[in-house]
Amino acid sequence: MTDWLQTTIDGLLDGGSYAIVGLGLSLMFGSLRRLNLAYGATAMLAAYLGAWLHARHHAPVWLVAVTVVASATVIGWYVERLCFAGTRDDAAQPRGAPIAGADGREVVALASSFAIWMQLEQLAVNLLPRHLNAFPSLAASGDWALGELLIRPDRLLVALLAAGLVLGLAAWLERSRAGLAWRAAADHRSAAHLSGMPVARLQTAAFSVACALSGVAAFAVLSLDGQVTPMFGMWVLLKGLVAAMLGGLGSVRGVLWGGLLLGVVEAHAQSLFGAQGREFATYALLFVVLVAPWRRGERGALSGGLRA
Amino acid sequence: MSGAAAAYAVGLASDMAIMSMLALSAYLMLLVGRVSFGQQAFFGLGAYASGVMSVMFQAPLGLALAAGAAFGALCSWLLALPTLRLSGLHYAVATLAFGEMARIALGWWHWQRPGDDGPVGPAGIEGFRDIRWLLENDVSPAGYLGLTLLVLLCVLAVLMRAERLRLGVGLRMIGQDDTLAAAQGIAVNRLRLFAAALAGGLAALGGGMYAHRTTYIEPAVFDPMLGVHAVGYALLGGLGTALGPLLGVMLDLGLLDASRLLPGWRMVIFGGLVALFLRWRPRGLLDEALVHRIATAWPRRGHHPVVPDRKE
Repeated sequence: MTDWLQTTIDGLLDGGSYAIVGLGLSLMFGSLRRLNLAYGATAMLAAYLGAWLHARHHAPVWLVAVTVVASATVIGWYVERLCFAGTRDDAAQPRGAPIAGADGREVVALASSFAIWMQLEQLAVNLLPRHLNAFPSLAASGDWALGELLIRPDRLLVALLAAGLVLGLAAWLERSRAGLAWRAAADHRSAAHLSGMPVARLQTAAFSVACALSGVAAFAVLSLDGQVTPMFGMWVLLKGLVAAMLGGLGSVRGVLWGGLLLGVVEAHAQSLFGAQGREFATYALLFVVLVAPWRRGERGALSGGLRA
Repeated sequence: MSGAAAAYAVGLASDMAIMSMLALSAYLMLLVGRVSFGQQAFFGLGAYASGVMSVMFQAPLGLALAAGAAFGALCSWLLALPTLRLSGLHYAVATLAFGEMARIALGWWHWQRPGDDGPVGPAGIEGFRDIRWLLENDVSPAGYLGLTLLVLLCVLAVLMRAERLRLGVGLRMIGQDDTLAAAQGIAVNRLRLFAAALAGGLAALGGGMYAHRTTYIEPAVFDPMLGVHAVGYALLGGLGTALGPLLGVMLDLGLLDASRLLPGWRMVIFGGLVALFLRWRPRGLLDEALVHRIATAWPRRGHHPVVPDRKE
């Protein structure tokens, strides 16, 4: 019983990392209704820039953190200009309709963001060619004991940061006027445009915030391990995508539950079937959630717009 | 040409022909409006199935390839059933998840029998060694290249012929707008299932040819990068004709070869070029409009049946 509880707690703490990684992806999808495959590579290149400053120029931790977040935003802006700016829906097409099939622009956005993923990853590897690169480590040395259960305080901190960011962003989207504008621009582009909102600027703003969040996530997750590898881009994209999909793409609070669910399922799969089982469980969970007959009714809602 | 260079050219041409099969399979899915990131799974399943046929059951090459293709088509059809009603993005992610599940499951598969030097058969993540049908039957690499090209030509001929029939027009209509196609009396679901099975079979056929060419396969080969590249080839080459994916393969593998001068920067340049290129030509080099123009400029071939719509 203690083992089971310990596994669950470890899973919940891991889930915090997944949620923080998925948050930006979900926000991006919610506001543009396009999946950005370059999301993980953006975070990875930003992290590599931070690691480069750390290793070559012995920059202090705060400077690395600022660099990672700022460069993620700048790289994200480049991705948005290149892959998404030309592929948005025309005002003539209602954005409220759920996606039927893959329309041409969606396919193009997928393909070109994939090409940019390859480009950014290669740039990162050119910057620091080694497989393991040092990253500022903020890992705690000891565990907190709670009876027989052990909790790693640094992981707890990341999970709390994830929950804080998710709940804060959700509240901001729900309560503030600017949040209302973001949701309106995401829900129905032409209606928002007719109401006098600068739709393109709102969407770019949401995209930039999402990229900055990916930088925050990259710094938080990597400082737990104190190292970064070329696998990080793929990891960010996949874990973030599963967490966001489980919670419903475009839903901000959903990412938190999706991340936690993913963490718990993975932790138990690992303790039962080993590392391969953990990986399999991730994809099996994703697949079942996608094709589950009981979610057929909500699928239209699942793929539409930005929700708190 | 020296011997080494000739061997290299034969190898590269075989790789191109085999990748073309996978790219054609991604192209078929794109025709019916589906982005699939899971075609590499059928490539892998076909490779394993045909390898098992020729190694474990000592079947001749033709039978092994056919069995692999049939197995891939069956798996693809089974995957298409539950994912039939998913929207575009959800379908793409579901196929990605399936592809990874298949890859991990292949890593669990152990089934070996004693061979001449040690056990043979699938051995989990260590892979499946000694698929030696070509060596045992004295087929030279050049001979195998001829066989691969012959299969590819047959596939191309069938596909290009089918595109001029009602069947091909129906597939394209579904890709453009499935609601409208259904209103025109097209059996959307049945055709989508058919296209999925055909695409799975094609990918598996390519996988079988790959397994016999390299004699060694492992699950890690069939990772999502392979499938995503196949989609990229089809999109880059163009969705207007079955020759498009081939052009995409030649461009990428050719460039890969030409750009060994600047290692490390190939993807930086190529990735940026692809993204820029897709902005002004979203349906690839050989898109419907260009194919239509070529077809009408060549009167003996008559009208291309698909009326292009560049606005789409």
